[in-house]
Order: sequence, then structure tokens, then C-alpha cells
Amino acid sequence: MAKGDGKKRALHLRLYIAGNAPNSIRAVANAKAICIEHYDDDCVLEIVDMLEQPLRALEDEIIVTPTLLRLQPLPVRRVIGSLNDTGQVLLALGPK
Amino acid sequence: MTPHTALRTRDLTQRLAEAEATIEALLSGQVDAVVDSRSMTPVLLTKAQDALRASEERYRRIVETATEGIWAVDESSQTTFVNGQMARMLGYSAEEMIGIPMPKFVGGAHRSAAEITVQKHRQGESVIEDSTLHRKDGSEIWVRVSAAPIYDSAGKYIGGLAMITDRTQHRAAEEALRRSEEQYRQIVETTSDGIIQLDHTDMIVFANHPAAEMLGYQPSEVVGKPFSLVTVPGETEASQTARQRPLGTSASWDGSLRRRDGAEVVVSMTITPIVGRDADRVGRIAVIRDVTERRKLQAQLMVSDRMASVGTMAAGVAHEINNPLAAVLANLDYIAESLVRLSSGDRAPISYAARDAWICEEIKPSLDDAREAADRVRFIVRDLKMFSRSPSEERTGPVNVKSIMESSLRMAWNEVRHRARLVKNYGHIPDVDANEARLGQVFLNLIVNAAQALPEGRAEDNEIQVSTRLDAERVIIEVRDTGAGIPAENRTRIFDAFFTTKGVGEGTGLGLAICYRIVKDIGGDLTVESEMGVGTTFRVSLPIAKAEATESVATPPVPTAGRRGRILLVDDEVMVIRALTRILSQGNEVVSTLEAKDALARCERGEQFDLILCDLMMPIMTGMELYHELLRVAPEQANRMIFVTGGAFTEKARTFLSETLREHIEKPFSSANLRAIVNRYLN
Repeated sequence: MAKGDGKKRALHLRLYIAGNAPNSIRAVANAKAICIEHYDDDCVLEIVDMLEQPLRALEDEIIVTPTLLRLQPLPVRRVIGSLNDTGQVLLALGPK
Repeated sequence: MTPHTALRTRDLTQRLAEAEATIEALLSGQVDAVVDSRSMTPVLLTKAQDALRASEERYRRIVETATEGIWAVDESSQTTFVNGQMARMLGYSAEEMIGIPMPKFVGGAHRSAAEITVQKHRQGESVIEDSTLHRKDGSEIWVRVSAAPIYDSAGKYIGGLAMITDRTQHRAAEEALRRSEEQYRQIVETTSDGIIQLDHTDMIVFANHPAAEMLGYQPSEVVGKPFSLVTVPGETEASQTARQRPLGTSASWDGSLRRRDGAEVVVSMTITPIVGRDADRVGRIAVIRDVTERRKLQAQLMVSDRMASVGTMAAGVAHEINNPLAAVLANLDYIAESLVRLSSGDRAPISYAARDAWICEEIKPSLDDAREAADRVRFIVRDLKMFSRSPSEERTGPVNVKSIMESSLRMAWNEVRHRARLVKNYGHIPDVDANEARLGQVFLNLIVNAAQALPEGRAEDNEIQVSTRLDAERVIIEVRDTGAGIPAENRTRIFDAFFTTKGVGEGTGLGLAICYRIVKDIGGDLTVESEMGVGTTFRVSLPIAKAEATESVATPPVPTAGRRGRILLVDDEVMVIRALTRILSQGNEVVSTLEAKDALARCERGEQFDLILCDLMMPIMTGMELYHELLRVAPEQANRMIFVTGGAFTEKARTFLSETLREHIEKPFSSANLRAIVNRYLN
């Protein structure tokens, strides 16, 4: 679970992964790096393993992993893939 | 938040963008899992990918670990794929070979064949062929190509796939095998020994040139024929025995084979069974050596050894002859002197009756002594003759062991008498099948050896014992001495040729070796027992003769008075003529001549004789020549010839007598014997 749950953050992210599959591991690493480098760690990153919590994935209408959801600010946005292309990811997440 | 509300909150464009991103992620391989739409459960993509990858990997491994080279070409024969083994075989990297037409790698001599292969492929044929390929370093390798065409799903030819095996080593092995075979063939064909291979039915399956030549054939003429084509009946027994020998052991024996022209060739043969893969005897190999020459040499060697023995004995023999000869001379001198005294009137005149009495008392005993002494000389000379027979006279037949032993003892007496007492212990034994001269040679050798084992002088202290006995259907002859004995280390070698303990020049080392050979040749055995300080015994064991010896000295009954006849004597020895004239003049008319030519002249002139007594060997014209001449000019006279011989036969003389069947008298002869023969002829 991401840190600083008590404090309201500007950016709330949820990353759906599938165990330690290669793209999932890469996506986790990329997401963490982006939070630190581009949002001064001022974001909530929640990581959900679809293999462990399939119902949550169903609820969020996840059909492939890795999928990154931007829950806050609204509207909800999805980025699919291993998050290698930092430029495209930042474009989807919006400015700080 | 429910799916429905979520659906409502999104607009269509965003969903399309998301779908696009999803597809893009899928295509670029950034997706790990998808949710199966029916079961609504996540499925890991990696598992499927792994399976695919594993399958690919498996095939790749097979292709790369194959010991064969794998080579794929497209429809224009350009290389599209080679495995590592193929690239290594040719010394290239796989990448270097891609795109190069396969025929470029094929050796010049096989390029056209390779093109034909491609043609065949187009027609749908698979091809297996041997070819050469160029390596990158310029060398060539031999390969076996097994190629098949490849078609697309529409049945169109799109190239070929070939499996390639390096046959260079194989070729080298084949070449080595060929060379090895060639080498063995050369050995087999250049050896002077004959080599014949027989199958299990004794059929000749191979014969080298020397074997065929020995037998008067070409190799091709004996192959496929039974071995009995060249064997001599009766000798197959030895061959049969050889067949029953245990595997891996060869049998050797001397025997005869039959040549194409019917002549027999004396061979030494070694037959070895040969074994097939199933450990069954598949046949035999016979190695044959022509020993005709060796046999001749051996016979010569035996004769020369015998002559050497006789030579060694010469001094002793001279002594043996001199003693009786002295007695003959002394007695004759005495008689002559007595007769002179009788006629010179040294003593008072005596009556005729007194003179007759005196002759009986004084002369007759001297004459008898002289006669007895002369007889002894005759025996010794007969012994000498026995030892000096030529090989051509060496016939084997039943012989009397005791008389041969006696002859040998007389010959060796001079060696024996200074060294030992001689003890004879003759048991009653039958005759043996042997040759007199050879058996005499054996005995003489054993006796002389026994004598030489003893120190000279002190003859009473030592003993040589000669004994004969019958033991289990074999005649045993033993020569025992009381000498020092033979050391154990020498005992096994004493029958070896050239083994001698005597000094150089004292012995040839052949004596016992030859004895052994002689005894073995007549089916006997020669053994030795020796105890140091006690003595040595040589034992000859011989099979009993199949037939009894024919009595050779059948004394004919003496007809006292014969018809008066006219006799011609022909002899180059005056003394013989005179003696014969004296003996035969009583009751016959005797004409004599020293020359055969003279005899011939008389017959040519028409003189008639009832009997012609003729010496066989004469310097100018021999008795044999006279006979042949007479056959021409006066055949009736030729048939009245009797020959007188001194015994030293030449081969020619022997053949002459056996072919013409003319009667002959051997010198020396007694007057009674001579008269008997002459009277028989005249009557």
C-alpha cells in the first residue's frame, strides 16, 4: 500500500498488476519512479495484484494488466502497458 | 461505484482511445494478463508465450544439436537456413552462408549432379547421393546428401531441405580397409608358402599363386574344387585329425600332395581351423611348404653323418681288419714256407702217406685259421658296406635288430674296448620295419656316445650294456652307460640339431638329432633317461614289422658234379681271374679276359660260351655295356651272363640289375657257393 493515506493528495493512482510477470514488475518500478521524479512523491500509488484480488479488478473493469488508473483528480483515466514511455504516461496523468 | 454508473460517466471517444491503447499494448508485448470474458478470470499471457517459446526452443535445439548438417534452400536454390553443424562442417558461420546458392558449395565433379538433384526436386523426388563440398579453407569433404523438396500449402515448390552427413572419416576408413586388404593380399601372394583356404565341407575357397603353382594349377582352377583334388589317398587321415583339433590350435605334419600331372610333391603342412562370428568352425587354412628339396638335403645330411661316423670309425675298423688280416698272412706264409721245406728236402724224405698226414696235421689247421680270419674281414667289410649305402638304396623292410646291433658294435668296438666292458643282453624280439643302414647309424651313434661318456682306460670299472626286449607290441632297444650322466638342463636339448657339449671340431651336434629323425620316420621313439653320477640310458622303441624278414642268405644245395661247360671270365682284376680259373677249371673249359672289349670281339667272331661270368664295374667297358652290346650282336650269349660285383653299387648298376633281372654274385664268395651257382646254370 502507498504511503501517506491520512493526508489528502493531489494525485491518486491505482496500478493493477499480475503477480510478478515481467511487464507488471516493470510497470511497478516505472510508476514509482514517475511519482518520485515528476510529482515530488506527492501522490498516492496503490498497487493491486489482479491475481490476488480479481473482484476489485472486476469492479474497476480491468481487462488487461498492467493497467494504471488515475482515480484523483477526476475524471478517471487509464494507462495500459508497462509504462515505459514516460512522456505518454505524464500526458495521461496530467501536470502536477 | 457500479459498472453501470462507470459506463455512464465515460464518453465514447475515451473508451475507443482506451481500446486502442489496449490493442497497442498487446501488440507491443506490454501486457501480462487478460481477463477471459466468459469466465471473468484473469489469464496470464506469459504462460502461453512460454509454451510457444519452449516449443520453438525445442525445435531449435534439435536442429542445432543434430549431428547432421541441415540446409534449407528456396526455390532458386539460395541458402535460407543452415544449422550450426552444417556451418561448422564447411568452416563458415551460418550468416555467411545465407543467400549463397547451394550449388556453389558443391565440388566441381558433382556440380552437375547437384543441378540434376534440383531438377528432381522440382519434379517432387527425394534424393540420396554422395558428393563433395568445398570448405571455406579450400579443402573438400565427402558428404552424403539426403534431400527432399518443400511445397507451400498450395502445392507450389518453394525450396528444399537437405540432411548432410560428413562421410570423410567414413571414406578414410573405407580407404584404410581397402589398403589393409591390399596389404594382406600382397603378403599372401608374395609369400613363397602356399596358402589354401577351405570351407567347412573341405571345398577350396581360396588358393594363392604359390599354392596353385606348387600343384601345377592356376588359382582359378582349384577354387571351388574339393580339397581331395590335391590330396593323396591315405594321407587324408592326417587331414581328418587336423579337423578335429580344438579351435585356435594348428596341426602340422609332413606329407604329400598330388600335382595335376599326377606326381607327388612332398610338403610340410600346417592346418589351422578358422572361426566365424558365430564361433562355429567355418573352415580351415592350410599353409603348405614344398619341402622336396629340404627332404633331399636331409637325406644327404643323414648319409654324410653316417659317412662321418664311418670315417671316425676308420681307425678302429682298420684295426679290426688288420688283426684277422695278419692272421691270414701269417698262416699263408707259414704254409708257403712249410711247402718250400717239404720240397727242398730239409727234412728226411718221407712217404706219400706220411706227407698226406703231415699236410692234414700241419697245413690244414693253418688253412682253416686263414680262412676263418678272412671270413672275419669279410664280415667287417660287409658292415662297412651296410653303412655306406646310398640314399637310393635305402629301402625300408623287415630287418633283424640283433644283426644290425652286432654290425654297429663291431664298427664301434675300437671306441668301446678301451673304456668299458660290453654287456649284451638280447631278448627274443621280432623284426622291425626299418632300413638297415639308418638303423645301424642310430645304434652306432648311441654306442659311440655311450663310449665317449666314459673316460679312457679302466675298462673294467665301466660298463656299456646293450639290450633288446619286447614291450607291449614294441621292440625296445637300450644302450646304457655308467658315465657321468647328462645334466638336466641339457637333457631337453640333446635331440636338437647342432646342440653339442663337445668342443669345436669334435662333434657336429647332428648325431642325436639325426637319430631322432630316423627313429621318428619309421614310427618309433627315441628317449633318454639319465641320472648324474649313475649313467645314461638311450631307449629306442620301434613298432614290430608287419612281415617277417625274408632270409637273404639262402644257401643253395650244392650239386657236386655239373655238366662240363665252356665258361668265359671277364674281370679287370688278375687275381680274381686266377682264383676263379682255378676253382672252375675242375670239370669246365675256362677262357678268361681282362677286357670286356675282348669278350665282345670273341662273341662277335662266333665263339660260343655256356656261361659268361662278368665283372659289373670295369674301367674301359663295363659289364653293363658288354651286356647291351651282346644283346645287339649275340643275344643268345647275352642271356648267358652272370655278373660279379664288388658291392659298391652305383645308382646305374643298381637300376641295371633290377631292370634286367640278371643274376649276380657278390664278392667275396666261397668256392662252394660259386660252384653251386655255376653248376645250376650249366645244368
